[in-house]
Amino acid sequence: MAAVRPLVTVQPLEGHMATNALAGVPRPDVLKAPMRPDVVRFVHASLSRNSRQPCAVSKHAGHQTSAESCGVPAAPSPVSPASPAAEHTAPARVPSATCAAAAVCSPPTKTWRRWHRHVNVNIRRYATASALAASAVPSLVLARGHRIESVPEFLLVVSDTAEGVEKTASAIKILKQVGAVPDAEKARDSQGIRPGMRKMRNRGYIFRMGPLIVYGNIPMSSALNLVELASGDHIDRLVILTYHPYTLKLYGENPKLNSMFGTFDKSSEKKKGYVLLRSKMHNADLSMIINSDEVQLVVQPIKKDVKRHTLKRNPLKNLYTLLKLNPYLDKKRTQLPKEEAAAIKAAGPARYKTMISDSECLVFSISFTFIESTSDDHRMQVEPTESQCPVHVRRITLTTA
Amino acid sequence: MATVPGPLIWEIVKKNNSFLVKQFGNSTAMVQFSKEPNNLYNVNSYKHSGLANKKSVTIQGGGKDLSVVLATTKTKKQNKPGSLHHRSAMKKEFRKMAKVVINQVTDNYYRPDLTRAALARLSAVHRSLKVAKSGAKKRNRQAVKVGK
Repeated sequence: MAAVRPLVTVQPLEGHMATNALAGVPRPDVLKAPMRPDVVRFVHASLSRNSRQPCAVSKHAGHQTSAESCGVPAAPSPVSPASPAAEHTAPARVPSATCAAAAVCSPPTKTWRRWHRHVNVNIRRYATASALAASAVPSLVLARGHRIESVPEFLLVVSDTAEGVEKTASAIKILKQVGAVPDAEKARDSQGIRPGMRKMRNRGYIFRMGPLIVYGNIPMSSALNLVELASGDHIDRLVILTYHPYTLKLYGENPKLNSMFGTFDKSSEKKKGYVLLRSKMHNADLSMIINSDEVQLVVQPIKKDVKRHTLKRNPLKNLYTLLKLNPYLDKKRTQLPKEEAAAIKAAGPARYKTMISDSECLVFSISFTFIESTSDDHRMQVEPTESQCPVHVRRITLTTA
Repeated sequence: MATVPGPLIWEIVKKNNSFLVKQFGNSTAMVQFSKEPNNLYNVNSYKHSGLANKKSVTIQGGGKDLSVVLATTKTKKQNKPGSLHHRSAMKKEFRKMAKVVINQVTDNYYRPDLTRAALARLSAVHRSLKVAKSGAKKRNRQAVKVGK
């Protein structure tokens, strides 16, 4: 459920001047940036720490109990143990029990805790581009939970009459025309009380996030910051962009986003020296690649038969494996009665020769001459005599044990 | 160029999406379901996923009357969720509806691998509509209705 079209139509709104041309806007290249939810998650986590204000436990906490104010002489006072004064001074400067325990178990929080995180500029821009790209994919926006059944088109670009809106009622009308109302309504209906102690810090209510409307001067717009785009550190927020006439005038056919992030070929005009990062796979459609003609031509056919590991059986015990290894046994047992066997033995080597001539197989007979051994270590050297032997036989040394 | 392909979307979406329902523990005993409207078995897998596939089939009960809605997604309109679904409401007897489903899903070579799933869902929806006549319980976690 996800395709990217080269042209994006701008949704007309009521009250839009008919004279203004509402041609399709070519898609800025940012939206083809690689979608990296892992990068976005990392950057979002870091960036969302940056708006934190330091807070800590008071440094006097737990130390202002009445047990402190007993007043302590450095040396034990010369009072008899029986007197009440002695009991009174016995524990010097004892903190209250809970404070002591706390100091041992968890030191009090400090304001100089590292609240903010620095994130490299490049990776920040990568994350923003990634989040923008993801917001243009309907499946991902659906997966994040936005109600987009009635949105006419992704990427949602609306004509800039929307920017002149003053009243909430007209804003709602615009959302209706654009099909974003179910999402906004879901957000409104989702108001709930936040579980937990945050309520006490004035963050009592939580809502789902509805659509994010981006308008006006994009480079200045804070709305394209990552924390908005990827709220909840999920990429793909539903983003509604307005089609700013500023765009057409200054940059020709390149919409604003192109100038901000650059294209894959050109570097960005607004961000110095920044070029959009390319994805590892230009074409990530694996099934299409696998099934393409170029690949299928070269690929071996599917191996249907599965070779499984066979259990090794002992030939000495198992007749079938024995016969598989030595098929002659079968014949020996079944085909040769005793008399024949005796006859074969009697025939001797002559039978062998008749067998050879009968069977027409090539047998080379190589005769060797014995060469005197020069050394004493029981070695015998032989050399082939027949020179018509086609196979090259070297002199062989036979060792007797 | 620059089609966002199904497998890529699936990699992003399979672990975490708003339709994912995980129950019964954290490991092997866990069941994972997916509540998207165009997931026929409601199973969280690539083949059945309504998010990652260009062609998907939805079968839902429609409205107050006992009609069953069969909806398929149009491949060319992936970018326009408003006009993405091709809906048809069926109000016939079961066998005829089954034939319709088979025609759309299998014989058109739309998603023949989803045949059994489509028929199974048709049976389930049909049966639930019969129950609805006598007053169904309103449950949480209902799927989103497709189209208008």
